[in-house]
Amino acid sequence: MSSNGSSNEKFIFENTEKVKRILSQYPDKKSATLPLLHLAQSENLYISGAVINTVADLVDCHPAVVMDCVSFYTMLYTKPQGRHIIQVCQTLSCSLNGADALVDHVTDKYGIKPGETTEDGRFTLMKVECLGSCGTAPVVQINKKYHEGLSQKLIDELLETHQ
Amino acid sequence: MSVFKPVLTEHIHQKDCHTLSFYKSVGGYSALEKVLKMNPADVIQEVKDSNLRGRGGAGFPAGVKWGFIPKDTNKPKYLINNADESEPGTFKDRLLMNKAPHQMLEGMIIAAYAIGCQTSFIYIRGEFYKEFKMLEMAVAEAYDGNILGQNILGSDYNLDVVIHRGAGAYICGEETGLIESLEGKRGWPRIKPPFPAIEGYLQSPTIVNNVETLSCVPHIITRGASWFKSIGPEKGPGPRLFCISGRVNNPGVFEESMGISLKDLIFDRAGGIPDGKKLKAVFPGGSSSAILTSEEALDVNMDFDELTEKKTMLGSAGVIVMDETVDMVQACLNIARFYAHESCGQCTPCREGTAWLVKMLTRLVNGGGTPKDIDMIFEITDNIGGLIDFSKGSFGKTICPFGEAVAWPVRSFVEKFKDEFLAYLPQEKVVA
Amino acid sequence: MPLLKIDDKEFQVESGTTVLETAESNGIEIPHYCYHPALEVVGSCRMCLVQVEGMGKLQASCNTFVGDVHPDRKVEGKYDMVVHTKNDLVVQERKNILEFLLLNHPLDCPVCDQAGECYLQDYSFKFGNAHSRFDEDKRVRPKEYLGSQIVINQNRCILCSRCVRFTQEISGTSELFVEARGYNSKIAVLEDKPLDNLLAGNVADICPVGALLSTDYIHKNRIWNMEKKPSVCQNCSVGCNVDVFSQKNQIFRLTARENQDVNGYFMCDIGRYGFHRFEEIERVSQPMVRNGKSFDMLDWEEAIQKTADLIGKSKDKTAGIVSPFHTNESNYLLGLMMKDTLGFLPPITGDEITYPAGFRISADRSPNLRGMNDVCGELEEDFFPIIKTRDICGLYVLDDGVDRELDNRWKDILAKMDFVIVQGYAMTELAKSAHILLPGLAPFEREGTITNDQGRIQWLRPSLAKKGNSKSDWEILMLVRNALDKESEHFAGLGEVIKKMSKQFSSYSEISLFKIGSQGMALNGKNT
Repeated sequence: MSSNGSSNEKFIFENTEKVKRILSQYPDKKSATLPLLHLAQSENLYISGAVINTVADLVDCHPAVVMDCVSFYTMLYTKPQGRHIIQVCQTLSCSLNGADALVDHVTDKYGIKPGETTEDGRFTLMKVECLGSCGTAPVVQINKKYHEGLSQKLIDELLETHQ
Repeated sequence: MSVFKPVLTEHIHQKDCHTLSFYKSVGGYSALEKVLKMNPADVIQEVKDSNLRGRGGAGFPAGVKWGFIPKDTNKPKYLINNADESEPGTFKDRLLMNKAPHQMLEGMIIAAYAIGCQTSFIYIRGEFYKEFKMLEMAVAEAYDGNILGQNILGSDYNLDVVIHRGAGAYICGEETGLIESLEGKRGWPRIKPPFPAIEGYLQSPTIVNNVETLSCVPHIITRGASWFKSIGPEKGPGPRLFCISGRVNNPGVFEESMGISLKDLIFDRAGGIPDGKKLKAVFPGGSSSAILTSEEALDVNMDFDELTEKKTMLGSAGVIVMDETVDMVQACLNIARFYAHESCGQCTPCREGTAWLVKMLTRLVNGGGTPKDIDMIFEITDNIGGLIDFSKGSFGKTICPFGEAVAWPVRSFVEKFKDEFLAYLPQEKVVA
Repeated sequence: MPLLKIDDKEFQVESGTTVLETAESNGIEIPHYCYHPALEVVGSCRMCLVQVEGMGKLQASCNTFVGDVHPDRKVEGKYDMVVHTKNDLVVQERKNILEFLLLNHPLDCPVCDQAGECYLQDYSFKFGNAHSRFDEDKRVRPKEYLGSQIVINQNRCILCSRCVRFTQEISGTSELFVEARGYNSKIAVLEDKPLDNLLAGNVADICPVGALLSTDYIHKNRIWNMEKKPSVCQNCSVGCNVDVFSQKNQIFRLTARENQDVNGYFMCDIGRYGFHRFEEIERVSQPMVRNGKSFDMLDWEEAIQKTADLIGKSKDKTAGIVSPFHTNESNYLLGLMMKDTLGFLPPITGDEITYPAGFRISADRSPNLRGMNDVCGELEEDFFPIIKTRDICGLYVLDDGVDRELDNRWKDILAKMDFVIVQGYAMTELAKSAHILLPGLAPFEREGTITNDQGRIQWLRPSLAKKGNSKSDWEILMLVRNALDKESEHFAGLGEVIKKMSKQFSSYSEISLFKIGSQGMALNGKNT
């Protein structure tokens, strides 16, 4: 059973203006599901049961339908993650340009395997599929930003700046 | 070597090339002005005449697609700009969105006008956050400049653009998967019929076009269909953004005429292969295409029909170059794993077949393979995506082309590099 | 009308019909999983693929529509579409799809409830390969409870999504959803919103494999041990058609039987699990007469005679209490006997529930209120004044069998009666206060007709044998009536009662068990 339903707990959006704007943009309320989930995740850092209940109310559907949607997409997290989510692309072009070694390097340095989070909650390491920047492989996305053409040295420097 | 004068990427190295003021200063939105005085049917005809074929992967003639919109319905029409660039090896739409967002926007508005759309969407993949912000800015500029919203440029035409972010699913690049995702559901592609042009978003007529396809439209209007048709092969003409990545010295996006030879792309534009290594295999059109051996690659032009004859496809023109240092089996596994991860899970062959392929290839790579496995890979790929023999008709078994997309490359690896696969078998099991 | 050819047979069909629909209604088997006539077509299982001439790819027959084509494009000059369902290509394709479905499906048949009525088993046998070519590890997941009535065996699920579509479209409750994607997809519920609506049992019916199972029925029996008998649910006035599965006179489960004029393809859980009530009640299966605080057994002759004596001596001061839980024939015969002095007990009601796709549970929780009113002439709404004005001193009650708390007015009446004769099957409070108990049949043992609230008369058929010394309710009434009036008819069977009844009421004039059949009959040809 999916354990993200928290009875009737509700999540309160901070940016209520944006919520209204989002809902008004679409000819059908249900289309606002993804943008509302993105907004909630940016405020709440993950999609909790309360978020699901609130979004379900806003788009007029059953929470299970929202959960159906959430569980399909890789960018929506149903559990809290680290402060900085390190997403290393592992698809062909990046793989041909040293992505696998980068992953191992991060694992060695910070002690986390893909899917794991450091104990202090600083980093979560993930292997992801093609990020759409194959020309500057290997590519890593940290939170919202792309970091392209990385090497082990460069990624060390980069991660230092992410506290 | 004659240098192709860029059309779509003409200004990308200029400062502030992404702004409205810059775009206007180089003649931007004059095509829109012209179109607003034209009959929508004539706009569609012009694009039809240009033979513009979709640049997202399917290569379907854009004008013909627009023509499918029924004229006799009161339902609202929708235009969706597919900016969900997720095909491995493809990164051209990102460039266009970052450096020439208004060009794309102009193409969108023209397309929307042609089909009678009042609300259009840009579905951009969730990971492209910087590009999303860029588009937000461009759309805001357009509204401010009376290029979007009510009475565009003083005409009767109104159009709204909504930018909708995806959330990490390759299958949402497939048009019906995209529409489902836009409707707020999981991105499970729909069965056809009904076709999106008849019943798409919210059961209304919908057209889905790629970023680059739409970016070509203003140029077709300004310079004419015959000009466009004269660039490269007549049946699939125009300027094209080719992406090259993998084992090359200068990976990147190169705007060339359709029909450029793959050899030129790799060895001239992309600077050839580093460390003097030899070419081994190439993906010509993103990872969903069948690979070409170096021999085949050196003998083909980047043209829809020519590549189809060679039993592969131009697709998204995402060229991935593999040299002699690349282990074909590992590469095959990498691609198979990508598809297993991205399979939406709706239909049986794809859901079960992609995972089976990954499990089998993993076992092979770890030394547990048997000769029967190699033959099984052919069978499994055929059962998901059918034979790559177009003369026999495409025999895909799945709801959407994802089945073909996983079957063709994986099969081609085994077909063309069987020795490498056999080499992974524990030696005592190989029958001499 | 387009002409469709499937294999070697021709069909003239309505434009827009699908190939699968045509095949289904003409006895041509095209195997399928995700298609269900009551649910939206998704075409995801790919099992129904057929070859359509002129199309390169195999087509999902559930989504292939037949329409008129231009005369130049007709096949062989006359067919609008030609379909092959048995050629090598299609046969091979079915093998392939079954192979994919069985990759992760466990070899559970010996311990799986669905064995014997499983589409996967049946199609594997008919269309599949004998051997598996899968050498990898299977995906293994624990079983889960989706609600109190439904358990899912995740390993067996083939993701046809029928259950998800059911909760979205039919019950409108949307509890079920698909979680994750690709190979990791599985059916799930939110932990705090389990599958507990009143139509939940249907998902186990529509699940083509043994993934979704009813916790009520699980591991209790095997389909091949049981007899399947058609009948009608008696838990409310909708009258859903059901199939009753029993073995050695014990009911194991009920499933919905299709009737497009009543319940479509489904039934509610109240009716589905309602049969358990009869396993626990104290049964009356022997004629009895009161002796102080207890009862003495009688044989039938004595019981009938005593009853007739009591009624005869009261000289028309006996009233009949008919019941909306009894068949038309029983109510009718009591009506004949008591000649317009009829009343009925307070109705049993519940919530009226309507589901989005139209399925309904009626507020009236008795199966035959309409029929009772139809065949009993003038029924007095308010019975109490009649008791006073006619000076009623005795009651003949057709007991509902529902143990109910009677209000004080009824309790007073019963206390004041010289005699109360109760014909029923259960030792209800009412039965306990009777002077004579005549053992009738329990609902699953009865045969007769009942009329639902839409005016549809349906054939209630027995699923169990009579218990003990019980007799059919109509027979008891006939015997009492015969004892009272030697001239009254002796009916050789239920059919004769129906014939007499049909002559008396114009709306029932056309009925016969044969005509009613398994789908029932609308009175006056209208479903109102």
